[in-house]
Amino acid sequence: MVARQDALLAQMRRGTLQYCVLSLLADEERYGFDLVRGLSEMDGMVTSEGTIYPLLSRLRRDGLVESTWQESPSGPPRRYYRLTAAGRGALEGFRLEWRRFRDAVDHFVERKD
Amino acid sequence: MASDTDRLVADYLGRLDRELRDLPRARRRELMEEISGHIAEARADLETENEAAIRSLLDRLGDPEEIAAEARGRVGVERRGSALDIVGLVLLLIGGVVLPVVGWVIGVVLLWISETWTTTEKVIGTLIVPGGLALPLFLVVVTASAETCSGPTEGPLTCTGGPSQAAQVLGAILVIVLFIAPLATTAFLARRRTRALATA
Repeated sequence: MVARQDALLAQMRRGTLQYCVLSLLADEERYGFDLVRGLSEMDGMVTSEGTIYPLLSRLRRDGLVESTWQESPSGPPRRYYRLTAAGRGALEGFRLEWRRFRDAVDHFVERKD
Repeated sequence: MASDTDRLVADYLGRLDRELRDLPRARRRELMEEISGHIAEARADLETENEAAIRSLLDRLGDPEEIAAEARGRVGVERRGSALDIVGLVLLLIGGVVLPVVGWVIGVVLLWISETWTTTEKVIGTLIVPGGLALPLFLVVVTASAETCSGPTEGPLTCTGGPSQAAQVLGAILVIVLFIAPLATTAFLARRRTRALATA
């Protein structure tokens, strides 16, 4: 039972993580390390930081984010990611669906009796 | 001290690079760049760099195997152009027979734009054998027509010779190898493709 619950949480995290990444990029462009740190600050969101990079790579190839190289004040240049119009659209779509879903689940599991 | 922590990082990146080896080269390079960049940034952030700090930094990054699984998983999920993969394989094998040279070249292009195969597999697909089955077929046709031509013009007196027989045997072996090699390559690439999609 506990194992199944862990698997479910991992699935939920996995499914929603990309929208958390898109949300973090909604207002500003960020480079990989900065983005990963932003995600890790929230407890329970990321278990292995390294897996964010394959995700970013896929989002880039799917056209939801784009990246540019920029000089860093210290060290080698950084790859900065930012949302594309398609990424913004995907994020908006998910926000609507997520609110509906969250409210529906809350309605049942948060019920006070 | 510093060399110990450097070695830990180098070991980690080496393991990651090996785990990523069956990804297309551009993807592998991108991930290696991003993750070694991440490690460099994280190390620059450390107050004091020691072995324990580096170990926990690498632990937070996660097991290279897990990162590679995530990267491979996405390859399968996309399945972009995966129908084109099959077209490419067929054209590599018999494209040159249907449409000399051009058919095979289209097959090569499809092979190289696909994200299913690694660079090594693409090189194998291109070089074994250029032209696919068209090459051995072409050789058979050319030698057959050469034989029928030489017969009547040379005359029946000194037509048959020892060396030409040895050459014929060698030629036959060469043609058989040239028939089998592209078939084997196609089977190999098809199997690698099935495997790449199965790990999704």
